[in-house]
Amino acid sequence: MDFDWTEDDVAYRNDLKTFLKERLPEGWNGYDKANLPKYKSDSIAFSKAMAERGWLTQNWPLEYGGQEASPWRAAILSEELWPIGEPRGPQYMNVNWIGPAIMAAGSEEQKLYHLRRISAGDVCWCQGFSEPDAGSDLPAMRTKAVRDGDDYVVTGSKIWTSHVGTADFCFLLVKTDLNAPKRAGISILLTPMDTPGIEVRHIDGFVGEQAFHQLVFDEVRVPVAYRLGEENRGWDIVRRALSFERVGAAHYETGQRILRATIAEAKRNGAFDDPEVQTRIGEVFAALEAARLLTYKVVDLRAHGSPPTADSNLSRVAQTTALRLAGELAHLVHGEEGLTAGSGGDIRRVLSFGVAAGTTEMQLDQIASNFLALPTKV
Amino acid sequence: MDLTPNDIQRQTLDAVDRILQRNGDTAHNKKLVDQTQYDEALHAELAGAGFFDLALTEGAGPLDAALVVERIAESAAVLATAATALVFPMVTGETAPGPVALANGQGTPFRLGQFARTVLILDGDAAKRLDVQPGDVEAVNNDRTGWPLARLTAAALQRAPALGPGKGDELRNWWRTGLALEAAGAMKGALKTTVGYVKDRVQFGRPIGSFQAIQHRLAQLTVNAEAAYWLGLEAAYKGAPAQAAAAAATYVTANAPLLLRETQQMHGAIGFTREYPLHLWTMRLPALQRELGGLSGHARDLARSLGEGVDDRAATVASQL
Repeated sequence: MDFDWTEDDVAYRNDLKTFLKERLPEGWNGYDKANLPKYKSDSIAFSKAMAERGWLTQNWPLEYGGQEASPWRAAILSEELWPIGEPRGPQYMNVNWIGPAIMAAGSEEQKLYHLRRISAGDVCWCQGFSEPDAGSDLPAMRTKAVRDGDDYVVTGSKIWTSHVGTADFCFLLVKTDLNAPKRAGISILLTPMDTPGIEVRHIDGFVGEQAFHQLVFDEVRVPVAYRLGEENRGWDIVRRALSFERVGAAHYETGQRILRATIAEAKRNGAFDDPEVQTRIGEVFAALEAARLLTYKVVDLRAHGSPPTADSNLSRVAQTTALRLAGELAHLVHGEEGLTAGSGGDIRRVLSFGVAAGTTEMQLDQIASNFLALPTKV
Repeated sequence: MDLTPNDIQRQTLDAVDRILQRNGDTAHNKKLVDQTQYDEALHAELAGAGFFDLALTEGAGPLDAALVVERIAESAAVLATAATALVFPMVTGETAPGPVALANGQGTPFRLGQFARTVLILDGDAAKRLDVQPGDVEAVNNDRTGWPLARLTAAALQRAPALGPGKGDELRNWWRTGLALEAAGAMKGALKTTVGYVKDRVQFGRPIGSFQAIQHRLAQLTVNAEAAYWLGLEAAYKGAPAQAAAAAATYVTANAPLLLRETQQMHGAIGFTREYPLHLWTMRLPALQRELGGLSGHARDLARSLGEGVDDRAATVASQL
C-alpha cells in the first residue's frame, strides 16, 4: 500500500498541465453552453487535440487503439479537466463508459464504426435513460421498441437528457419486452440523433444553460443492427456502465476550487476572521479529501482488475456531500452578494449533484444491499 | 498509488487478528472496562512480537503501524496503541518502553494515563516527556465507560522536560493522526456491531435492517467510517504533515457524533446496558472528540494553514453551473 504518484504519473500530469496552458485561453472557465454550435466545435477541437496525443482513449485496450494506461491516468485526467470546466465537453462520457460498453457488448460492425469515431474525438453522445415516470426506478421505463422487419419502431419519451444539444448519437434504453420482469426486457439502441421522428424539446431550468431536454419518439424506426448486445439483456450493460460513470468525474477537485475561491473571498471580506467560518472551511476541506480517497479506492480496485463494487456508491455519496458543503460555505461567505447571477456564492451550482448520475438515495440503497448486505423487504 | 495492502501488511494484520482472537472476545474487553483495567497481557504479547515497533522497523513504517492501530481500535482492546505504536516512536525516534499516554498541559483528563509508563505532553507549542513516577497521575471517575481516564498532577507537569524545538508540532500532528485512526477503528467497530444487530432484530414482523429508514442512515455512516479510515492511513503514510493530520482529525471529530448517536439510537434500550458491547466502541468516541481542542481546534488550524496558501488569484471559479 502506498499513497504516492509514480514518476510517470507525475510527468503525465505535468505534460497535461502544459498542454492545457497551451490549448486553453488564460483563465478559461468552462464553455458558454448557450452558444451550442461553438460549444460543440470547440469541445470537438479540444478532444481531437487530445486524441492526437493519444490521451483521449489512453485507457482503452490496445486492440481498440488505446494504450491500456493505468486507471490512475484517467483519474489524473479527470482531476485536471473537471474542475476547470471539462474542456472535452460531453465526450468524457464516450471515453469513460459509452466506448467501453460498446467494446464489451458491440458487434464487430458497431465497434469498427463507433469506437474509431469516439477515439478520434469527433463525435458527441447523449444518454437516453430517465423517463417522466422512470427516474430512480429506471427499469420501470416504458419507451417501447417493437420489432418490425429489420427495424425497431420506438415510441415513448426520455427526459432530463443531458448533452442533447450537441449529440450525434443517443445511447438509448428501450423496453423490448413489456411483459418481462422489469430488468429483463430492456435493450440498448445506438440511435443516430438525426433519425426521422425524434423530437427534441427544451425544458427551461435554473441550474445551467441547455441543461434539460425531453426526447419524444413517435414511431421512430431504428435498425435492429443498431441494438447493442442481446435483445432484452441491456440492463447488465447499463449497470456496469453506470458504475464507471459515478467516479468518472473528479468533483472533489471542483470542490477544492470552490473552497480556494471561498477562502480568498473570506479573506477579502473579513469573514475569515470568524471562528465559525474557519471551522467550516476545515470541515469542507476534510470532506473533500475524504471524497478523494474513497474515489481513489474505486480507481485502485479497477487497477487491480476488480469488477465494479459498491465502493463506487460510497465515492459518489462522499463527493455529493463534500461538494454540497463547499457550495453552502461559498454561499454563506459571499453573503448577499452570493445572490447575484454569476457569483461565486451561487448555491445553484451544487444543488443538482445529489440527483445526477443516480440520486443519493439510490446510492445509499446500493450501499445498504451490496456493501452491508442488509436484508431486503420481506 | 496502491491502496491494496501488500503481502507483508496482510500477514501482519492476520497475525494481529490471531493474537486478538486468542486474547479474548468482547466479553474480555467488557470485563477490563468494567474493572478499569489495562490489558497488560495483550500489550506485552503485541510488544514482544514487535507490533509496536513497526513504525521504526526497516521495511515497515508508520503506515504499517497505522494499519495495526486501526485494527486494534476496531477490536475494542483496552490498549494505548496509537500513542505507543505510532505517536511515541515517530516523535522520539525510540521504541516505547511501555504503555504511552498523551496529555495536554492544562491538567485535564486524558486517556489511559494511570497505566502509562511514559506520558507525552503537548504544553502550548512545546512537547514534553514525562517518565511516570508514583503519584504523578490520578485516576478520574468516568463511571466505567469508554477509555479509563486520569489527570496529571501539577508537580508532574512541571517536572516533565521539553523534547526540543519543533517537537510540539510533530507531537500535535502525530497525535491527530493517531486519534483519527483510533476513532476510525471505533467507528467501524460500532458500525459493524449495529449492522449485525439490525439484521437480527425483528420488529413489525421483519428485521429492522430491512427498513429504508435504517438502511440509508447506516449507509451514510459507512461512507463516513470508511473515509475516516483512509484519511488516517494516508496521513500516517505521508509522515503526518500538518494539513493531512488536521484533515483526518477534523473529519473524525465532525462525523463521530452522528455515528455515536445513530448506532446507539438503532439499538434502542439494550444499547445502553453494560452487558451489550456497543458501548465499548461508542463511548470511546467522546474522549477522542475532545482531544487537542476537538473539531474547532483541528478545523481552525487547518483553515489557517489553507488560508496561507490562497491569494486573490483563486477568487474566480467556473461560473458555469
